[in-house]
Amino acid sequence: MFNPTKGLLSALAIATVLMMSAMVTCAQTTGSVTMTATVSNFVELTSGGAVTLTGNSGGSVITDGTANSPLAVVVNLGELGPSNTNSFVTLSAPLRLRSNVAYQLNMVSSVAGAGATSFSLKDTDVGFGLTPAARPANLAAGVDTNATPGDPTVGGSTDVNGRWVFAGANSTLGAYAVSGAVLSGPRINKAVSANSATNLTFPAIFSIKPQFFDPAPAITITAQFTVVAL
Amino acid sequence: MPLYSITPIRLSLLTILLVVCAVSSLGQSTTGTVTMSATVSKFVEINSGGAVTLTGNSGGGVTTDGVANSPLAVSINLGELGPSNTNSFVTAQVPLKLRSNAAYVLSMTATVTSSGTTASRIGTADIGFGLGTVSRTGLGVNAGADTNATSGDPTLPANGSVNGATGRYEFTAVRSNLSAFTSATTALSGPIIMNAVPRSNANGLTVPAFFAVKPQFFENGTTTISVTFTVTAP
Repeated sequence: MFNPTKGLLSALAIATVLMMSAMVTCAQTTGSVTMTATVSNFVELTSGGAVTLTGNSGGSVITDGTANSPLAVVVNLGELGPSNTNSFVTLSAPLRLRSNVAYQLNMVSSVAGAGATSFSLKDTDVGFGLTPAARPANLAAGVDTNATPGDPTVGGSTDVNGRWVFAGANSTLGAYAVSGAVLSGPRINKAVSANSATNLTFPAIFSIKPQFFDPAPAITITAQFTVVAL
Repeated sequence: MPLYSITPIRLSLLTILLVVCAVSSLGQSTTGTVTMSATVSKFVEINSGGAVTLTGNSGGGVTTDGVANSPLAVSINLGELGPSNTNSFVTAQVPLKLRSNAAYVLSMTATVTSSGTTASRIGTADIGFGLGTVSRTGLGVNAGADTNATSGDPTLPANGSVNGATGRYEFTAVRSNLSAFTSATTALSGPIIMNAVPRSNANGLTVPAFFAVKPQFFENGTTTISVTFTVTAP
């Protein structure tokens, strides 16, 4: 039998449920997505392209540099004794840097297999220098600080013993037996895409004056560059 | 897909992806190497040490003189070597210049060709020879003791005399005439000559090579004396 009171209560209950459902539906009309991200310090060193070897006698480029590829150049400088009548044996290896922060390029070097007498070729007999040009307009504005005197074949003279001495501080590998800064500066790249070709390219120049060094059949000179973010 | 449909799980995956991307950006190349190999070979060099000095000659003269630091290619006409030349000796002093970045040996070989046919013709034993005082001076020249295998100036009294039996003048000291050098024979040796200096440094070891002939009643004719110096790094 129909009970009016019970029916009313049921109707109210149903209406309440419907209203609550409607209210809940209204609460789901907005939403949010929260993303976190990072821009890390980015510094990059790669080859700036093919190397140039001059003044050599019997030397050659074994593994050349390829622009925008890892720097892993291997060069045979050839004869460094007096039978090489050229003024200098010079290797110019282009380096390529990119960064979104201030950077410092360091170098550490070694000379092995040259002998150990006072007449042996030493790290101080290997001239070194960087010759970066002013930054082009497509790079972030800034001035790079060259810790080397530049082209090592410029200047220089013989010492009291007649041995060739490269001019200026940090002008030979003798200054880099332990890692030291060779170039530094503010951020290099503007806010451009990662595949942008804009970069700071400059030559690293290694130079040796052929002299009456002690004979040595297998000299190895290694220079390792590392770029870090400041 | 409505934004509100992104579940917490999907949100977590998106966050992980972003983190991975950020981390992967640290994989850029930050180091590079330049490796250079090289050689310093043994180097020995002989050049002229300068102008030749010819003394005691009668006729003759220096045909091609020595020029310091130029290849040694001296040509000399010793002139008359017979008794009409009244000088005690006809002597040619030829300066040699050596440079090296290693120990060296200077050897010499000589030939004497005469048109004569008798025992009185000029032979190798009649040509006195010796190396004089060795000089290691100048910037970049290494100090060192050289060994002179000859007896020095062949005209020194101690280095020759008249043979009491034959009357012929003979150079008698050790390696004091060209008969000791009919095949390549060491005349001088020593340690490294140059310090580590550029080749443009013009200094080096200098030593005079003396050639002397005592004018005698040699058989008449023409004579050619040829001497070749060779420096090596043993």
